[in-house]
Amino acid sequence: MIDKENNIFDTVKNYYNDYGFRAKDLKREGKKFIGYVCSFVPLEIITASGSLPFRVRGNIHEPITKGDTLLETIVCPYYRSVFDLSVKGEYDFLSGLVIPHGCDSMVRSFSAWSYGLPFSYFHFVNIPSVCDESSFEFFDAELDAFRKSLGKFTGKAITEEHLRQAIRAYNENRDKVRALYELRKADPPLISGTELTMTLTAGSSLPIEESNDLFDQVLTEVKGRGKSPLKKGPRIFIDGACLDNIELIKLVEELGGNVVADTICNGARDHFPKTDVGGDPIHALAHRYLDKINCPKTYRANRAGTFEGDIANRFGDVGTYAREFRVDGAILYVYKYCDPFGFEVPARKAYYQSLNLPLLHLEDIYSAGTISQLRTRVQAFLEMIGQ
Amino acid sequence: MSFVLGIDIGSAQSKGVALDDQGPLGSFECASGGNFKLTAEKVKEELFSRAGRSADNISRTVATGYGAKLVIFADEIKSDIVCLAKGISSLLPSVRTVIDIGDLYTKVLRTDGHGSVHSFILSGKCAGGSGRILQVIAKVLQVKVDEIGELSLKSKKRVEFNTGCAVFAETEAISRLSQEVTKEDLLAGLHRALGAQINNLAERIGVEQDIAMTGGGARDIGLVQALKEIRGHDILVPPIPHMTAALGAALIAREGLKR
Repeated sequence: MIDKENNIFDTVKNYYNDYGFRAKDLKREGKKFIGYVCSFVPLEIITASGSLPFRVRGNIHEPITKGDTLLETIVCPYYRSVFDLSVKGEYDFLSGLVIPHGCDSMVRSFSAWSYGLPFSYFHFVNIPSVCDESSFEFFDAELDAFRKSLGKFTGKAITEEHLRQAIRAYNENRDKVRALYELRKADPPLISGTELTMTLTAGSSLPIEESNDLFDQVLTEVKGRGKSPLKKGPRIFIDGACLDNIELIKLVEELGGNVVADTICNGARDHFPKTDVGGDPIHALAHRYLDKINCPKTYRANRAGTFEGDIANRFGDVGTYAREFRVDGAILYVYKYCDPFGFEVPARKAYYQSLNLPLLHLEDIYSAGTISQLRTRVQAFLEMIGQ
Repeated sequence: MSFVLGIDIGSAQSKGVALDDQGPLGSFECASGGNFKLTAEKVKEELFSRAGRSADNISRTVATGYGAKLVIFADEIKSDIVCLAKGISSLLPSVRTVIDIGDLYTKVLRTDGHGSVHSFILSGKCAGGSGRILQVIAKVLQVKVDEIGELSLKSKKRVEFNTGCAVFAETEAISRLSQEVTKEDLLAGLHRALGAQINNLAERIGVEQDIAMTGGGARDIGLVQALKEIRGHDILVPPIPHMTAALGAALIAREGLKR
């Protein structure tokens, strides 16, 4: 659905397909890139240190050939792919790697990463599993330790002012992403899910200022369209973890649906919550990353006292997005062996039922080899909600 | 006179049903083989030549099944879920839940009896819980796949079979045979294990009666009987169960003519 005359989407496509080429250029100019996985690494702290965060991706078209010799196959296939690419040298231009406690695979495999890769800096961010008062006290200290550790690595202490500047730049970035999502509210949407996912993925390989520029140009381009290049079709919501490739969304759109909203990590989960400004920046970051990011990895106590109330509290963002983006159906996309999402599937299904929103639950491995199997299911689902 | 054609290119078997203004004109089935495009042509040509009619008079074709998009002469492609619902609404309108046992997947769908689908679920990526296991076991026992149902019903002492996985089933069957269990008891055990797996899948989306079994797996009376016993009630099976999706496709083609 990408217009060939739009050179900004050609740029996006280049960043997406040749992922990391800009980082390699900047490295030659002396910049240091710090790789990260998951939504829970405070990118503001990396940027404030003068280094540049770079989200490491997997590749569904690349068979896992080396990673499995160093990591057991009980780890989720997405994470195995990211690890496999890394140990095969795909990200050797990085200077370091930061991994948070985003799931059990991340914490258990941290040592395998640190032994298997040639970087000079490794850091593990310990994220509390609950959201209580004591968790914030702990997480403030943990983020302060991360700040000091990075400062030691770069040889330059990270000041509060550095942090405030970085927070502003990321908040600006999140406003732009919100503005991009606004363009999906039209029917048909002005921007396809494929274009948007490519844009956001491209952004996660760039310094924040360049990402802001890129999003501005995409916004201008899409707003200038006037009329949507897409056809009307069922408006689909994607619920799940990290979807750092366009294949599923492209498949939905090829089959006549329009992907209009999501909870995915490199979508709304990463980009919607903003950091509070004004107070202590480390505390504000702790609050954003621990409480504002809604991920099944965090246990939130049942304060409602009932099952219905609990699922409404835990998954309320889904209901809000579904109404806001006028969603006709949802796809819950879960990787095999993804324990945070896996354990939640029955409760999430019950929540969709309470919304009366048709749901397709897909369990997949991270591989282009399953596209035909997904096609069978997605096609039937779109026909079912379109009938 | 004009005809409509429904064609279902499955992973193992390809099926076609043609209708004229009065009703069914004929049907044809063959192995899907390695070239779905050629197989689709063959189904069409054979079906019409056996019916003594010319395929040139087809007004509309709807394709479904795993190889549907390779039916280059189709006017429309529909998912097998929707075609199954349409097919069963014409064959057995009281049915609200369809359990379709194919070679690649088992599918369960809830329908309203008029061809609309309320929800559906498919078995996993591997062939576990699908009809493939029946082919595998027939080969191990050196019997025809059409015979295993009858044999299973003759069992006197069913073995407890532990797997519904097509790969492990072969290993387990060989291990049981070395313990001198009979073919009949082994098949009854396998049908029970597969039936339990299929029933679990069905329960995940909820089951409303009447229930029908369709697909090639529904031709296996041993499997149908096992599922009846597990569920404790009757299950309906249309006369040519594996043609249900192709029939549904043909009915959708006919509706397409009226639009």
